[in-house]
Amino acid sequence: MYQLNQVDKKFPGVHALKAVDFEIGRGEIVGLVGENGAGKSTLMKVIYGAYQADGGSITIDGKTVRFQNPRQAMDHGIGMVFQEQSLITNLTVMENIFLGFEQQFVRWGVIDWKAMAEAARHQLRKVKLDIDPATITSKLSFAQRQLVELAKVLTLEERIDGDLVILLDEPTSVLAKEEVELLFSLVRELTSRASFIFVSHRMDEVLELSDRIYVMKDGAVVDVVAHDDAKVDAIQHKMVGRDVDKEYYREQKQQPYDSDKTLVRFDSVSVAGKYKDISFDLHPGEVLCLVGTEGSGREAILRTVFGLEKPTSGTVEVKGSSFSRANAQEGVARGVGYVPRERKVEGIVNGMNVYENMTLSQMGNYASKGILRIGEEKALAKKWIERLAIKTPDVYKDCGGLSGGNQQKVVLAKWRSGGSDIILLDHPTRGLDIGAKEDVYDMIREMCDDGAGIVLVADTLEEAIGLSHTILVLKDGEFQKRFDGSPGDKPSLYDLVHHMI
Amino acid sequence: MTIEKLKPYLPWITLVVLVLLVGAINPSFFNPTALLQLVADIVPLFIMALGMTFAIYIGGIDLSMQQVANLVTVVATVYLAQFGVFVALICIGAGFVIGAVSGWITTRQFVPSFVATLAMGFIALSGARFLSGERALSMNAEARDASFGWMFGNTAGVPHELVIAGVLLAIAWFLQSRTTFGRALKAVGAGELAAVASGLNVDRIKIMAFALSGTFAAIAGLMFSVKLSGGDANLANGFLILAIVAVLVGGTPLTGGVGGVINTLVGTLIVVVIRSAMVYLEVDATMQQMIFGIILIIAIAMTIDRSKMRIVK
Repeated sequence: MYQLNQVDKKFPGVHALKAVDFEIGRGEIVGLVGENGAGKSTLMKVIYGAYQADGGSITIDGKTVRFQNPRQAMDHGIGMVFQEQSLITNLTVMENIFLGFEQQFVRWGVIDWKAMAEAARHQLRKVKLDIDPATITSKLSFAQRQLVELAKVLTLEERIDGDLVILLDEPTSVLAKEEVELLFSLVRELTSRASFIFVSHRMDEVLELSDRIYVMKDGAVVDVVAHDDAKVDAIQHKMVGRDVDKEYYREQKQQPYDSDKTLVRFDSVSVAGKYKDISFDLHPGEVLCLVGTEGSGREAILRTVFGLEKPTSGTVEVKGSSFSRANAQEGVARGVGYVPRERKVEGIVNGMNVYENMTLSQMGNYASKGILRIGEEKALAKKWIERLAIKTPDVYKDCGGLSGGNQQKVVLAKWRSGGSDIILLDHPTRGLDIGAKEDVYDMIREMCDDGAGIVLVADTLEEAIGLSHTILVLKDGEFQKRFDGSPGDKPSLYDLVHHMI
Repeated sequence: MTIEKLKPYLPWITLVVLVLLVGAINPSFFNPTALLQLVADIVPLFIMALGMTFAIYIGGIDLSMQQVANLVTVVATVYLAQFGVFVALICIGAGFVIGAVSGWITTRQFVPSFVATLAMGFIALSGARFLSGERALSMNAEARDASFGWMFGNTAGVPHELVIAGVLLAIAWFLQSRTTFGRALKAVGAGELAAVASGLNVDRIKIMAFALSGTFAAIAGLMFSVKLSGGDANLANGFLILAIVAVLVGGTPLTGGVGGVINTLVGTLIVVVIRSAMVYLEVDATMQQMIFGIILIIAIAMTIDRSKMRIVK
């Protein structure tokens, strides 16, 4: 009934959806799985109208439709239950349910609260939630809010003619086991009212609930599996796909690290609410990769090493001593360099030129009594522009105007030229084209040869495996397994996925 | 040439066009002595605008400047007899401390700078009222001339105020363009998160920026007080909006990171030309603030970097 035909979506530098075919029948539950970055979220956004497809068509019952925004999609019966809950916590449950659609209850210019409460109760009954609609939303449990959100989407039933399609984005990620079961039985019952698209990292849940499962990889649907034929193993293999190309990740350049010295030591470190009981050593020349799904604690560990996050227990030693205060200045002073995921926001200063960006973390080295030696800064920038083949007309170019790959090179040059030997890379190749990615891989090998230790959160699993000496797999903030990644003896994608989800 | 590329030159173009326009209406506008005097008269405003530039450059604002200047006129008048020329140190120190406290409230207590400085402004105003006993005080003419007579006078036809303004501009420009502090200000204004992730002590930089704006406010107040030979808790009223307008029409947007003190020079000159044009055109004095209010809104709307403003409240 609802169909996507050959839908295509491109972003600058990324082909996010490649000729995706997708369909969902009346009362069906369809699962959607794939790695981070496989295109699941983009596909969902196209479905509920937040993005417009560049190519292909969307049809409902054979009629072509085009949504400019989520509101138009809603008018066609497509609703979204958000992972980051979209309820406004200081409003009441009923206000949330009818947010933006209060007009129906207005009498003489004021809202008839009794009528709204009655209507809200009707919606809440659909999701079997027995609460007072006048409750302030912040008083509800997470599971209850999820149901309110679902009830909110189900108001579409009264509002539009035709069938409903409801997207559930990671609905179980914060629920307890019993709550998940309740939600699932509810969703099954609700198939009499709507069809569901279910997106989750938890493979077993997707298998349990879905009638059919779409497997995505690199922006394309690589397989569609019916419920009865679905096997976790087979799906995981499809998700991670092709074999790793050794050349691509510069495996031949991977040298053994120096295990005698330790740059960073984590001794059962925990940060409340982020991760717990993590231990590892980082050695000169080592690439240590943290692998896990979004929210597994990878980023928080990086931030702890840099000094932006304060451990609640355990000890962190950087070059033999622990931080007295958690702040970035101390991290930088110890030789820690941080290449953040949000390159344009945290990596470079948009509005400052190449040399200003490169010396930002080490202005003291280019100043006498606070007065900058700008000539030396420019000389430094010229040297690194040449060394890393940064494409910029001159050192005066605003870094905001460089391409993503060149911005990343400027950020890496900033830390390397300042002598940082502990480099934290958070998705260093995100959004880069293939050539720029290979440049980054080369730089990682060079830094290792120079004796730097690298903690990496990779953009894909292949990247993690290809680049690293050591892999730590994390799940929900807890350590799962350690893999050795020497060339020729690297773990397979399947090994990792198995422990991640 | 697109409007985006033209944007950095817009203040200069505006200034030239305005000067030509006013000159066309009133050719006597170009009389050199009168012109020099016109510019010399607005030196306190220029100094205040210079200080405001630092606050706005980092993406904040300092609404306390006018009240700090008011306080300083009173302090200078009251303590001149006692401390002589050293009263200047007290005044400048007071401005520095008030600014630094505003900065501390903003960075450590997470109070937006416009509220923090507004509140500090009222505290300063209250101090000025208390100290002056709510009266207009006047300086002892002899003591004034002995200590600060050098501020006003002419050397080779150049008013001393202009020399002072030039020196302060040079210092401010040097700070902004040639020092690590100035570079850090730019980084905080243009990309605060990147500055944090580069290990800069962003809080200290912000506190220093507000301390500087307070210091410049105090210098402006001191000059004003000497010029008018007295102090009063309302003496500098009306300057705040002009200082903000000067910074913004000069091309330093409220979102920070772009522009700087040279822009503020241009902006101040624009303000002067507009003001003198209004005098020639006999715009009623009560209307002038209204016109500057309108110019302020237009200047903000034109200069603000919307990509940095996700939500406006």
